[in-house]
Amino acid sequence: MKKFNLMFLAAASMATLAACSSGDEEASGGSGSEGSADVDEITAWAWDPAFNIAALENAKEAYNGDGDYEVNVIENAQDDIIQKLNTGLSSGTTNGMPNIVLIEDYRAQSFLQAYPDAFHPLTDVINSDDFADYKIATTSYDGEQYGLPFDSGVAALYVRTDYLEEAGYSVEDVTDITWQEYIEIGKDVKEATGKNMLTLDPNDLAQVRMMIQTNGSWYVEEDGSTPNIAGNETLEAGFETYKEMMDADIAKIVSDWSQFVGAFNSGDVASVPTGNWITPSVKQAADQSGNWAVVPMPRLDMEGAVNASNLGGSSWYVLNVDGKEQAADFLLNTFGSNPDLYQTLVEDIGALGTYSPAAEGDAYAVEDEFFGGQQLITDLSTWTDEIPAVNYGLHTYAIEDILVTGMQDYLNGAELDTVLESVQGQAEAQLK
Amino acid sequence: MSQLGTKKAEVDLPVRTKYEESRRQKTGVFFKKKVGWLFIIVSILAITIFNFYPMVQAFLLSFQSGMGANLEYVGLDNWRRLFGDPTFIAALTNTTIYLLIQVPLMIVLALFFSVLLNDPKLKFKSFFRIAIFLPCVTSLVAYSVVFKYLFGIDGIINQFLLNFGFISQTINFLADPFWAKVVIILAITWRWTGYNMIFYLAALQNVDKSIYEAARIDGASSFQQFFQITVPMLKPIILFTSITSTIGTLQIFDEIVNITNGGPGNATISISQYIYNLSFEYTPDFGYASTVSYVIVILVVILSIIQFRVAGEKK
Repeated sequence: MKKFNLMFLAAASMATLAACSSGDEEASGGSGSEGSADVDEITAWAWDPAFNIAALENAKEAYNGDGDYEVNVIENAQDDIIQKLNTGLSSGTTNGMPNIVLIEDYRAQSFLQAYPDAFHPLTDVINSDDFADYKIATTSYDGEQYGLPFDSGVAALYVRTDYLEEAGYSVEDVTDITWQEYIEIGKDVKEATGKNMLTLDPNDLAQVRMMIQTNGSWYVEEDGSTPNIAGNETLEAGFETYKEMMDADIAKIVSDWSQFVGAFNSGDVASVPTGNWITPSVKQAADQSGNWAVVPMPRLDMEGAVNASNLGGSSWYVLNVDGKEQAADFLLNTFGSNPDLYQTLVEDIGALGTYSPAAEGDAYAVEDEFFGGQQLITDLSTWTDEIPAVNYGLHTYAIEDILVTGMQDYLNGAELDTVLESVQGQAEAQLK
Repeated sequence: MSQLGTKKAEVDLPVRTKYEESRRQKTGVFFKKKVGWLFIIVSILAITIFNFYPMVQAFLLSFQSGMGANLEYVGLDNWRRLFGDPTFIAALTNTTIYLLIQVPLMIVLALFFSVLLNDPKLKFKSFFRIAIFLPCVTSLVAYSVVFKYLFGIDGIINQFLLNFGFISQTINFLADPFWAKVVIILAITWRWTGYNMIFYLAALQNVDKSIYEAARIDGASSFQQFFQITVPMLKPIILFTSITSTIGTLQIFDEIVNITNGGPGNATISISQYIYNLSFEYTPDFGYASTVSYVIVILVVILSIIQFRVAGEKK
């Protein structure tokens, strides 16, 4: 009896295996699902219960279309989503795949190109003009719009007004400045207050990424895949500025997220240049209320650089599986066309979308006492529209890992040209 | 590592063969064969499906390259790429450094502790045994995170060194290429020393006490007893633990990812982490990732052959 059970188990596993490989063929032959099956439940994946999961729940409430289906919101860690998508899509099975998934903008192109036909185009579903330009560049591929832009990663400079005052500066003095001016102010602040101007994590070049986007440049060229490192003047300026900050001794070195947050929560640094999604973390230190202001990101001292940049941000994608029509319908009637939803998002969870028509709403004009009565959301959303659009391409994280090593060499005294040429060489060899 | 460990240990113990012999006498050879096959057919099938089949597939995959699902055969290109890939070379170098420093360090420590704990005059023996073995039951991620905070720039280690005047300025352990490696090595040593110690303790129980008695009568010092009796008697176990630790260290992943995430730069990246990065962190290239995986396979095979040679297995 036992024997037969076990035999059956073995046979069953064989069958499962066979099923996997047949799914593979089906997917490589074309799309995973021909014809539209009517489904009554669709699944959506996101990762942050306080942010994008909450946004999905709000969207369910706000849905005003006439579709009749359930939306099942599932929370997965972002790393898990990436792994599940990669393993699922490359094996060709659509079992267990969600209908809607949130993908970070830096990774979007690699998914869109690595798995052609795996995503359902939304070109005819949403109006691209309604969204910030820079988001459209990163969420479309080959002339088709695949992503529905979600949160803005607009970068800003969060400053401690009390520290600035102590050093003899006002908020105007740090508004629309260059990084060089920022460093000078940083030195004075350190002299007057003993506090560092900012935190830097040598293992994370987010700072450099934000700097080069102020001048519309990226690690790769327009085509999204050729490394643009050696001879990239913007990147050179970014590296030089980074080193200047290190040499000026105005940066507290951190090595992870909690140290980064801890530094400004405990009042150890006078400013935080980062994405606007940091607002809730800044506000955690309620005793610092009124001592903060938010100004536009400093720019590189170059012709054409602007005081607006981006860090992070993500967008919604519809997978090409059964239920894609419903998924597209859900997105269209929520994030795609509902300005009121964006008001709720701002009020309830502090999530700033990139849907332009929403900017006229009341919630955007609210004055934030924590930031001394500043109309924070209005400001951020104005700056969002000024972010230079760049094609993040395929290799942001791969190149950055090589760049981090190059940055170490550069900080230890190597020639910048040599460093960048070596990074270029390595990147070209690795990213064939 | 642990699974491999137990399997190997059972083979080495003589108890098993005696048991099998007594069974053979009681039941007919023919019946035993039939029943035996029925038992192992399941494992053979399961191993074939879940181990050998994926291994063959991964081997084929290692000759392909491309983004995500768009894989195509590229012959030996992946292997050529491997030797010119500075990140891979950094990962291999780091892993080798961990191996060469950490494994001997841990083996010596484990031996040392086991001999101390085997002393019949020692009090609170089980307390010490538990204390040293306890790290082995902690989750890899949990202890890694603890180590990360211990060695953080505001961490307790820095506070301690500062307060006692060993250093004048905090050391940023995790942002320094040298210290980051030291932290990783300390962490794995802490986690695995007790595990190896248990093997030595078990083996020490089997060493005949009269040998030590005779040695003492001949006037051998404790050092002489250790190097002339204990070490030779434990030789097979020492070999076994060094090989299992070597294999474990070759596959090191959790500690690196959670303590330093491979940084600063690529100063602590391991081969396994690089495989993960190639598959999930960057634009996925599963083909090249399998090539790198096969490097680990090859290294493990080479080291296992060495083990069989040195241990001098009869068959």
